Amino acid sequence: MIEMQSSQLLPSLFEYVDEDRRLTVLHLGPALPETVEFFSRYRSKLYFCDLFAELPLTLEEDDEVPLRERLTALLDLPTGMRFDLCLIWDLLNFLDAQWLAELQDILRSHLHPASMVHGFAAHNPRIRPADRLYAIRDDNQLAVRERPAPLPGYVAHGQGSLKKLLSQFEFGRTVLLPDKRLEFLLSVKR
Amino acid sequence: MIGPSIVIKGTVSGDEDLLVHGRVEGSIDLGGQEVAVGQSGRVTADITAKVIKVDGEVTGDITGNEKVVISKSGNVRGNIVAPRVTLEDGAVFKGSIDMDPGDTGSAKVSLASQRSIEGPAEDLAGKPLEQKSG
Repeated sequence: MIEMQSSQLLPSLFEYVDEDRRLTVLHLGPALPETVEFFSRYRSKLYFCDLFAELPLTLEEDDEVPLRERLTALLDLPTGMRFDLCLIWDLLNFLDAQWLAELQDILRSHLHPASMVHGFAAHNPRIRPADRLYAIRDDNQLAVRERPAPLPGYVAHGQGSLKKLLSQFEFGRTVLLPDKRLEFLLSVKR
Repeated sequence: MIGPSIVIKGTVSGDEDLLVHGRVEGSIDLGGQEVAVGQSGRVTADITAKVIKVDGEVTGDITGNEKVVISKSGNVRGNIVAPRVTLEDGAVFKGSIDMDPGDTGSAKVSLASQRSIEGPAEDLAGKPLEQKSG
């Protein structure tokens, strides 16, 4: 079943646009029909990397491959690519501090000063929100599906901790949603 | 049609539509035609055609001069370039999708070089929320 959810922050992603450039979008989640349909209205290039499919993301002491190398391989982002938009819906709930630090470093190198990151995270890490899949239906609306089973590796951080862990990013507007999720916008700190 | 028991290694080209139920390894170049990869089709090749519909598995880059459709049973790993791409519910895709709807009246967008996302937190009614850090 697909439900629709309005969003106050999504419209910000599309407020200031340059008609002469291709919009580049990185979604760290699964490709869903609505997202592809939405961006098919535009001249765009979408990159999908479903890190949820790799959960739980752990680091063993005897791992021979460094964490940075593992994450770089999982993301497989094109060298030199800078994304205008990055979508990280619920992903941060499943990355511990080490993985978050590496993701932050990698993402930062693939964003530019005007890039925007839109995401959801648990507002209170002790209250786990239902596991959901999100897609963009319209510039102010998301399509939401329930995941068939809870995902492994839940390590949510809470808003205060996230701000500390993502120190290279500036938190913009945030909205507390009725399901106790935090909807947020990030940009790269200058 | 390439039947379920057929395996082709090399380049497939021509001026007819193609339906793949078997395996193709190499490349498929049917620029002005339609290519369909059936549910039992397994393609490890770059595909170029006017319209491409994937019900089976494709590993490779797909260039659709008109449209690319990945159906609910489709599984694609690669990069897609086409004016329009449709992904059906249940389809599995990993890679990039490069779309340009052309001069259809749709907005063409990309972020302007300057913007600000600074602002107070708000609740669903647009009222400011108290923010606590730490």
